[in-house]
Amino acid sequence: MQNTQKHLSADTVKRGLIAGADVTWQLARIVIPIYFIVTFLKHTPVLNAISILFSPLMRLFGLPGKAAIVLVLGNAVNLYAAIGAMVSLSLTYKEITVLSIMLSFCHSLPVETALAKKIGLSAFNVIGVRIGLAILSGIAFNLLLR
Amino acid sequence: MSGIMSIIKEAAVGSFLSVRQIAFIVIPLMVFMEILKDAGILEKIANLFSPLVKIYGMKKESGFPLVIGIIIGLSYGAGVIFRSAREDKLPKRDLYLITYFLVCAHAVFEDTAILMAIGASGALLLSTRLLAAAFFTYLASRLIDGKARKLSAAESRMLDNER
Repeated sequence: MQNTQKHLSADTVKRGLIAGADVTWQLARIVIPIYFIVTFLKHTPVLNAISILFSPLMRLFGLPGKAAIVLVLGNAVNLYAAIGAMVSLSLTYKEITVLSIMLSFCHSLPVETALAKKIGLSAFNVIGVRIGLAILSGIAFNLLLR
Repeated sequence: MSGIMSIIKEAAVGSFLSVRQIAFIVIPLMVFMEILKDAGILEKIANLFSPLVKIYGMKKESGFPLVIGIIIGLSYGAGVIFRSAREDKLPKRDLYLITYFLVCAHAVFEDTAILMAIGASGALLLSTRLLAAAFFTYLASRLIDGKARKLSAAESRMLDNER
């Protein structure tokens, strides 16, 4: 963002490739371990227990109880952690879309709330708005989508 | 023992395929974004859309960091926000509204692309997120103005309000 004149060059493509590889790497180093953990949990009673515990709440969004793992990871860690859980849980198109919309409003709460606070917003308000939008959109798209 | 091996194999193959699927979409997208930046198109887009922030009663200059944050992301956007706040002397009200919008919708293309890669509806995701953030920011702008008005009119209201 300096005032140097920018122009298209081979360097542009190189920087894009590096940025893309970086995103892929950041993603892989979170998605892969989460995928392993969730796959192991699938073969233990733990996942089932989580499913049963959260299914009354998750039914509000038309989601299976196990999808609570996706929402928790997405909010406590980041979007990539949620993606790791989503791809390992074998969900349907509708479930993935509803979760994605909910998560796109509300994710990485520790990091992003700190940033909003730095600009001067109240953490309480920011988190409230984001969770509110996630819950409302989850309920709405459960009803709208089929 | 073979049970554990098959679980490891399942996780290794599944996670590799997922990451590969995302990489196929994210890497070209990031190249495309760099081209937008270097060709000055990103700046043109930001300038094109920034007058829209008048709906919120914001200064025209506030639109630029907002659009950049929506497209590129929150951490990069925050840098642009701090810089514009200093250079263009953005009012606090604008800063708050920009940030409210951005916490709800930032890095929209990258996020949408990644979630699309794993099977979500991209069009739905993108449009819902932008519309909800825009609508919410509008409500927030009215709320802020309402509060300010309430403070300044508190005295006269006490006299006028018969109900």
